Amino acid sequence: MITATNLTKRYRNSIAVDDVSFSAEPGRITGFLGPNGAGKSTTMRMLVGLATPTSGSSSVLGVPFHSLENPGRHVGVLLDAGAQHPGRTGRESLALSAQLMGMPDGRADEVLEIVGLTAKEGGGRIRGYSLGMRQRLGLASALLGDPAVLILDEPSNGLDPAGIRWMRGVLTSFAASGGTVLLSSHLLLEVEAVADDLVIIGRGKVLAKGSAAELLATKGTSVRSLDDDALSRALTIAGFDVTRVSDGLSTSAPVADVGRLALEAAIVVIDLHPASNAGLEELFFSMTAQHGREDVPA
Amino acid sequence: MTNPDVISHSQAASVDNPFPPAARTIPIGRVPFLRLASVELRKQVDTRAGVWLLVTIAIISAGLITLPLVTGTADGLTFTNFVSAASSGQLFLLPLIGVMAATSEWSARTALTTFTLEPRRTRVNLAKLASASYLGMVLMVVTLAVAAVFNLIGIVWLDTGGSWEIDRPIILGTAFALILLVAQGIAFGLAFLSTPVAIVAYLGLPTVWSILSFAIEPLSGPAEWLDMTNTLGTLMSGLMTADAWAKLLVSVLVWIGIPLSIGLWRTARREP
Repeated sequence: MITATNLTKRYRNSIAVDDVSFSAEPGRITGFLGPNGAGKSTTMRMLVGLATPTSGSSSVLGVPFHSLENPGRHVGVLLDAGAQHPGRTGRESLALSAQLMGMPDGRADEVLEIVGLTAKEGGGRIRGYSLGMRQRLGLASALLGDPAVLILDEPSNGLDPAGIRWMRGVLTSFAASGGTVLLSSHLLLEVEAVADDLVIIGRGKVLAKGSAAELLATKGTSVRSLDDDALSRALTIAGFDVTRVSDGLSTSAPVADVGRLALEAAIVVIDLHPASNAGLEELFFSMTAQHGREDVPA
Repeated sequence: MTNPDVISHSQAASVDNPFPPAARTIPIGRVPFLRLASVELRKQVDTRAGVWLLVTIAIISAGLITLPLVTGTADGLTFTNFVSAASSGQLFLLPLIGVMAATSEWSARTALTTFTLEPRRTRVNLAKLASASYLGMVLMVVTLAVAAVFNLIGIVWLDTGGSWEIDRPIILGTAFALILLVAQGIAFGLAFLSTPVAIVAYLGLPTVWSILSFAIEPLSGPAEWLDMTNTLGTLMSGLMTADAWAKLLVSVLVWIGIPLSIGLWRTARREP
């Protein structure tokens, strides 16, 4: 469980996060979505106490992050996979954190296995890791304390398509076990595939939030029949909007109504489904278009 | 998708679920300071830079401790002299481990991990001070043991007097000086938060001050109080008087207290 309440972060002459409120629930994956520079990372840094909010507050598992005893055992954090000492081996950097949290000795090897790094890779210095390997190591580090909450900033960065699918599997099973996941991304498809809830942010402000199903729900139906002209007339008579598209009809009528009208008019339907979900991408672009930025500071 | 390695990853995740419901069974306890300090100690010696610095210290100490055997007069070959000879390299180099302990959190950006696992940043810095001092003491004990061996060599093969007399003020003074210098290294590291800048400042500023106070007459008075090279020199020669302790305290406040305060303040405010 993560709660942000009116979080605001002002830097000298800019406002990075502007009155952001949302919550991430246990058992669900919450996607934190926005273009680069929208304030996702700054928000996450405030959640874990690395940055101090100018105003507003946040809590993890019901208390402010800094009040957690042994926070690594409650919250797994991956903010930047590059922030690891290049001169340490991957296994050693995990073992250090495990020792600090009071996890048993074998835990570093366990999480290496969970994230799919071999013992040989774990024994290599991080200097030689690819971005994908660093990302896996970062996730291993987040999972180390067997936490109830995961806070992950762009975890799929640098992973190949198979790696991304694997990451989704890990996060889904983590949430299924009752864990809370807050995951940021600027890639819509990635979040769409995995998130139960969404928080969309642009220029520091929350633009939309809610369950993914709600935000993605589209009205209307696509239909193809052996007699599109007749079906079109029937729909129009029933008071629905109809437009011809290349592969049939697009109408404002719900799927059930289209089916019923086709049945009554004895028209053979060969394809009937909710209007193809232009999905999050359209929503995302329409909401963040005016917030699109070319000059993104790193 | 013919990469068998990657495919095996995805299979591993789906075949045996690593997160069985309600499996969070290992009890959660607070992080005791000693554990924090021992992790900080491990961080000082588990990187390549840390290992090489320790190896360098060992080599230089070995060279310096051998020197009296080769060049020294027979009656100079005493236990205390061996200890002093070996320590001089450590006094110079060990503080650099302190500098790196403080700066690498920011240069390698491990502060991100360190401060999410322990949000009380001053506590982390105190753990760094404690562990680096402990490392200094371990080196001192090793030095004492090696010095004893060398003294034995002197007695057996070179037929020296080989006094076993332990000049306690000198040895304790040297040990204390080592701790102070390591603390100074950490203080400078925290104040500057950049390895090269901190090292240059740590090595350079006191030297510049020594030169200035030597060259400029009116500075020589305050320099007795403000030059840590002087005050530590007195400490290591075992010649401490009430006046010397007061001067040491003042110089420590200036050269360790001020940078350490700046460093703790900067660490507390900085966003990693």
